[in-house]
Amino acid sequence: MIKKELFTIWVFAKLETFRTFRDKVALFFTFVFPLIFLFIFGGIFGGNNSVKFKVAVLNESKSDFSQGFVKQLTEDETFDIDKESTSLDLAKAKMDRGQLDATIVLPQNFGEKSGNNAYPSGEAQVIYNQNNEQAATTLTSVLGGAFEKVNAGFVKSETPFSVKAISTAKEGQRRFDYTFAGLVGFSILGLGIFGPTTVFPQMKQKGILKRLHTTTLKVRQYFIANALSSSIIGIVSVAMMFVAARIFFDLNMNGDYLSLMAIVVLGTITLFGIGLAIGGWAKNENQAAPLAQIVTFPMMFLSGVFFPRFAMPEILQRVSSFFPLTPVVDGVRLIVTEGRTIFDLGPQVGLLAAWIVIIYTIAFRAFRWE
Amino acid sequence: MKNDDVIMQVKNLTKIYDKKKVVNGIDFEVKRGEIFGILGPNGAGKTTTLEMLEALRQIDGGEALLDGVNVAKDPQKIKALIGVQPQTPAFAEKLKLTEIIDMFAAAYGEKVNAKEFLRDVDLEEKASAYSENLSGGQRQRLSIAAALVHGPKVFFLDEPTTGLDPQARRNLWGLIEDVRKKGVTVIMTTHYMDEAELLCDRIAIMDNGKIVALDTPKNLIKNLLKKGFKKEQTVEQANLEDVFIDLTGKDLRD
Repeated sequence: MIKKELFTIWVFAKLETFRTFRDKVALFFTFVFPLIFLFIFGGIFGGNNSVKFKVAVLNESKSDFSQGFVKQLTEDETFDIDKESTSLDLAKAKMDRGQLDATIVLPQNFGEKSGNNAYPSGEAQVIYNQNNEQAATTLTSVLGGAFEKVNAGFVKSETPFSVKAISTAKEGQRRFDYTFAGLVGFSILGLGIFGPTTVFPQMKQKGILKRLHTTTLKVRQYFIANALSSSIIGIVSVAMMFVAARIFFDLNMNGDYLSLMAIVVLGTITLFGIGLAIGGWAKNENQAAPLAQIVTFPMMFLSGVFFPRFAMPEILQRVSSFFPLTPVVDGVRLIVTEGRTIFDLGPQVGLLAAWIVIIYTIAFRAFRWE
Repeated sequence: MKNDDVIMQVKNLTKIYDKKKVVNGIDFEVKRGEIFGILGPNGAGKTTTLEMLEALRQIDGGEALLDGVNVAKDPQKIKALIGVQPQTPAFAEKLKLTEIIDMFAAAYGEKVNAKEFLRDVDLEEKASAYSENLSGGQRQRLSIAAALVHGPKVFFLDEPTTGLDPQARRNLWGLIEDVRKKGVTVIMTTHYMDEAELLCDRIAIMDNGKIVALDTPKNLIKNLLKKGFKKEQTVEQANLEDVFIDLTGKDLRD
């Protein structure tokens, strides 16, 4: 009996998977679409992760020192100098629009030898508006540090107290690590919810499900087969994103592949259950679509798909930590970036297991064949 | 009449929608190996009756026994005993015909030779095509093959020839005859009189949720004539359909 039941599940899972790989629209949305997002977001948050200041530099001085200083700023990768801002007014307008972080002004006598001094001197100004207070403060201290070095070259001074910054880890988390984990979540969200909430109502309206209902096929067999098939597709989709992220965005893989696969499968089964509950309940797409969106949007914005959760207000972090997608995104990041294994992810796996029980109980009760 | 000749017993079968009895306490028996037709205009309750017997709809009153199994009490067992052809057969897209047959067999936990089943309904050439690329008649034939994968005892068909051209209809009649020859009992609905007269051993005529007559087509006609019924028109030796078939042939066009 069990053997027969497993055979049924296996054939249905296999054929469902074939169907997806033969369907061009499904292929685009499950495989190409997440990749496009990966390239867009990877382009924005990937690559060089260091802080960069967009500044205008207004050099009113003709001294050699100031010329040399500007040249140095231009070559420094920390600064992105806007060449169009040739006057303070232009620069201010750009700062108001948020296009510039600050303006560095080197006044007329900057870098000239004044009085009896044997060395050049001057005071650079950092001009900013309220929007950019933080950037300007950082910029000021960066410039301050640079001037200190210059000063030391001219005037020998003792520095009894000093401070030195020492980086902790070998390599901190880059923004892209968050981006990648989020996009894996995005791909699973799309696969799990948008797929079944459109496909099942369509199949109902055509009478395809009703026809299956005339056979001895059981709801649980059908559920398991479909969840299995979507897990296989989920693994392929994430694998493609993973390879692309490794090749184009230098993603570091610090964990093991089995753990990554395990969290992807758990996540896909959970999210697919939500899609199944909605699509299995709805009589048509008009019923399914709004529900799918109500469920999807909070997860899309609060589970760490597009924005890291640590940047959110505490209350939102607390609420969103219970969303079904959150442990998936966190889990992927902890495995890929921090090298944890699936066995270290007790809270994440536990939360997903709880969701699976809840979601599939609802889906099972709400399912309608027609 | 409780003997082995009867495969299906229906007693006082009732279905209520919105307080209206759409199937109003009907009784009938179906003999093993016969083709039993349920006739009636649209809305007479044919499809609802069929779906109750197929364990797809809840039975609100009365009972139905199929091969000794109570339909309401053991739907899973009933489903293993029957094959069902719905009004408009539809299959999941992007599946080859062989895969669809495999899928239906797997639904019953069985593995079959899909090609053989396709050969029986003359679809062997289309084995690797997707079902969405089939014509209406081909889809009906695929549906028959899919309904028989598990060797059912009773085959239900709901208006199988609606929307088909005359050639496809005749072909389907042949297939239904073949199914019966294999010892399968056929229960079908139709609203085509010629189909009922030609194909069915006995027919029940339904109207407003009730069976208004039940007999062989010949007896039904005889009884009508006994009442002194006379057709106003003289009966022609051929009709327009005969002309059409004569001109276009009996061969399938799909």
